[in-house]
Amino acid sequence: MDLLNINYEKYKLQNGLEVILYQDSSLPVVAANIWYKVGSANEKRGKTGIAHLFEHMMFQGSVNVPKEKHFKYIQEAGGSLNGSTSLDRTNYFEKVPSNFLELILWLESDRMGFFIPALSQEKLSNQIDVVKNERLERYDNQPYGLAWEILISNLYPNDHPYSWSTIGSIEDITSFTLEDVSSFFEKYYSPSNASLVIAGDFDKAQAKDLAAKYFNDIPGKNHIANNNSGEGKLTENKFIVHKDNVQLERIYLAWHTAKAYSADDSSLEILADVLTGSKNARLYKDIVFENEIAQDITAYQFSGKLAGSFIIIATAKPGVKLGEVKEKIFAELKNIAVNGAAEKELRRSKNGIKSSFIYSMQNIDSLADQLNSYNFYLGEPSSFNFDLSRYENVQSENIKSVVEKYLTKPYVELHVVPQSTE
Amino acid sequence: MYVNRTDKPSPKDEITFSLPQIVKFKLENGLQVLSIRKNKLPIIRLNLVVNAGSKFDPENKKGLANLFAMAVDEGAGNYSALELSEEFNFLGSNFGVNANHDRIHLSLQSLTENFDRSLELFGMIIMQPQFNEDDFLRQQRKILTHLLQLKDEPDEIADNIFSFNVMGKSNYYAFPTNGYENDIKNISVEDMINHYRKFFAPDNSTLIVVGNLEKNELAEKLNSVFSKWRTKSVTHKLSLEIKNNQRQIFLADKKDSVQSEIRMGHLSSPRNQKEYFKKVLLNTILGGPFTSRINLNLREKKGYTYGASSSFGYFEKSGFFYVSTSVGIENTSNAVKEILYELENIRLGITEQELEFAKSYLIRQFPSNFETYSQVASNLTSLTIFSLPDNYFDTYIENVKSVTLEDIKQTAIENIFPDKATIVIVGDKEKLIPQLRKEALDDFILADYAGNPILP
Repeated sequence: MDLLNINYEKYKLQNGLEVILYQDSSLPVVAANIWYKVGSANEKRGKTGIAHLFEHMMFQGSVNVPKEKHFKYIQEAGGSLNGSTSLDRTNYFEKVPSNFLELILWLESDRMGFFIPALSQEKLSNQIDVVKNERLERYDNQPYGLAWEILISNLYPNDHPYSWSTIGSIEDITSFTLEDVSSFFEKYYSPSNASLVIAGDFDKAQAKDLAAKYFNDIPGKNHIANNNSGEGKLTENKFIVHKDNVQLERIYLAWHTAKAYSADDSSLEILADVLTGSKNARLYKDIVFENEIAQDITAYQFSGKLAGSFIIIATAKPGVKLGEVKEKIFAELKNIAVNGAAEKELRRSKNGIKSSFIYSMQNIDSLADQLNSYNFYLGEPSSFNFDLSRYENVQSENIKSVVEKYLTKPYVELHVVPQSTE
Repeated sequence: MYVNRTDKPSPKDEITFSLPQIVKFKLENGLQVLSIRKNKLPIIRLNLVVNAGSKFDPENKKGLANLFAMAVDEGAGNYSALELSEEFNFLGSNFGVNANHDRIHLSLQSLTENFDRSLELFGMIIMQPQFNEDDFLRQQRKILTHLLQLKDEPDEIADNIFSFNVMGKSNYYAFPTNGYENDIKNISVEDMINHYRKFFAPDNSTLIVVGNLEKNELAEKLNSVFSKWRTKSVTHKLSLEIKNNQRQIFLADKKDSVQSEIRMGHLSSPRNQKEYFKKVLLNTILGGPFTSRINLNLREKKGYTYGASSSFGYFEKSGFFYVSTSVGIENTSNAVKEILYELENIRLGITEQELEFAKSYLIRQFPSNFETYSQVASNLTSLTIFSLPDNYFDTYIENVKSVTLEDIKQTAIENIFPDKATIVIVGDKEKLIPQLRKEALDDFILADYAGNPILP
């Protein structure tokens, strides 16, 4: 599709920083988006959560930007900004009126090159408190909030970097010192471990000048390649029961599958949609719509650079046993392993995916992030059409084969049940 | 090359932004259409806004409008619930419906190439919903289970207790749109049909359209689908009387919680045009964006929370002010005191720099409010719900600019009342009570999750 053919320019500065420019002048706004090739997968047991805490510290100012001013300057310009940490990468992004492009490049370059001298124990202690509260809010005080950590820590071996959550354990978060923060910066943060997307309404020559002006004098470093811990394997099923402050029982199932963008990745995504992505999806229709033994069910393929997993989560209706829900799930998987999916089901999924690609292009900042994502995983920023074809090419045979290949293997089964349940 | 990094770069010139033109017309059946043309992508977005929200829920049937919204698309015309959903999925179109206190919103997003067929289905739901007993009962069971699940959500509980008490308990804005378990059991499929007959009519609705269609083509497409829709709504008069409360503190127990959810605030004026911009600017300084006073204090200075904010919220006929945060349970009373301090402090006035920041934030952010199709649609929706003037967006920046330092001071004095604030705390009472007792916060009332006092 022509619309999905993004016309961009990509080049590298001397220091290794990749720059990707994409022009779109439909609104007078411009977005910058930086991906650093570091995430929680670069951490070790005992130091979990440092990548994410570090992301917080990047908003605490740098040599020329006092604490609180990073936010202040961008919001004063009418801009929006944030950052996020995942398994494989950390991103930082902002969107401002197009005449403020220089401001955001100045800010991003200052924290990329001149971060360490601005660090202080006071800032670190404050952000440790903030991140502890983030953890409490998003995990510990959420119903079912600890399920994800229980699931992945059982799915992967203890030393596998996908076996812990990006937020990290409360003990680890509390233990970080200024030394931990500086050495993390030294190890992973530099232009040669990053890529910068500028997208939106700007003059190309001017943007190139500004990128050169603010980033050229930041030296690149020699970064050690990402660790490669393999895909993880279960030799037998694991069964865990966890009590929580919840009203309803919930079942989680997790299998090892395929890495992001590997051959089976898109088939597993379509499989998830065929199972639970719509009212007519097989499991949704069966157990939520028709038989009402579950309040909700969702399945998804969760994949990163090192490994992938397939997850199914269902909440049982009051009084329903999780075993009954589980039985239905496995019966349907078995059915698909034998009979595959109907052409109609595949078409439904593919049409939905195609539309969602176009809907996703409305925001210049999310488009910028997608260009960085494709660049990171595939080395080619304009991969929308390629990506779409990955889904278009999925056939019934592929669906059958991924069920057979991955979902008939050992899995982790977690039941989260109310405290009062004996 | 030497790079001057010490000085913050500032642009030399301002950008120009031309507002999209709002097109206003009526269909043959009288349905009001508000539209903005947007050509960036082959997308069309539609919102039908029906004056049929939960404010009309009868006594003992709280939750009716919400259940209606859950049931209205469960089969329409000759299509069953499953068939209808399948049709939309095949087109890659997203249909959604939800209810709030004032309105029911039905929305459609589709690719331009699939718009005609999507619009047909959309019209079918509006004009020929089936309301089969089986479908209704399934949705009724679904919301009952959902209500059960909401008992797990401390933020939801805090919001409900706050609204119930601030919006005046028996008042139609005081009840959660989701309703109450016992009320929902009283609702029947006949109630759905009655709600439909009373409210679903062109004279009680507005249609919002954003997409790459020019006016005549759009009118033709809409007329061909909606011309058969000729019903008339039954007029409903609602009366609203809410009084401002004195200070009251509610504590709801959430056993074993590690954080407490805090809500603080009071009634405020409805979205009155004149005062509105002053209140927006005031809140931008007090608790709107990340760098506002409340967040900088509670998060960046004290580290009590991941985030704290305040806002003026609006119903069609009323408004409220509230501060919202969740904090580590050991810091609950400290956080309450800091928020009260900020509310007192803002009444003493603000600085010129703060006002300049707030104005700059709002004015420069303005173009970004028109980026996505749904943003544009929701801007148009506000125009209709709050009966804003046609030139609202044209005069927006002027209105922001004209607010003075003295205005903000007055607005704070007239709109922020720390000593009358209703304070809601949801958390483990065993950990909270000793803390509140130690402070001047010991006149709390233990409340249930709906916001009613628990009698000893």
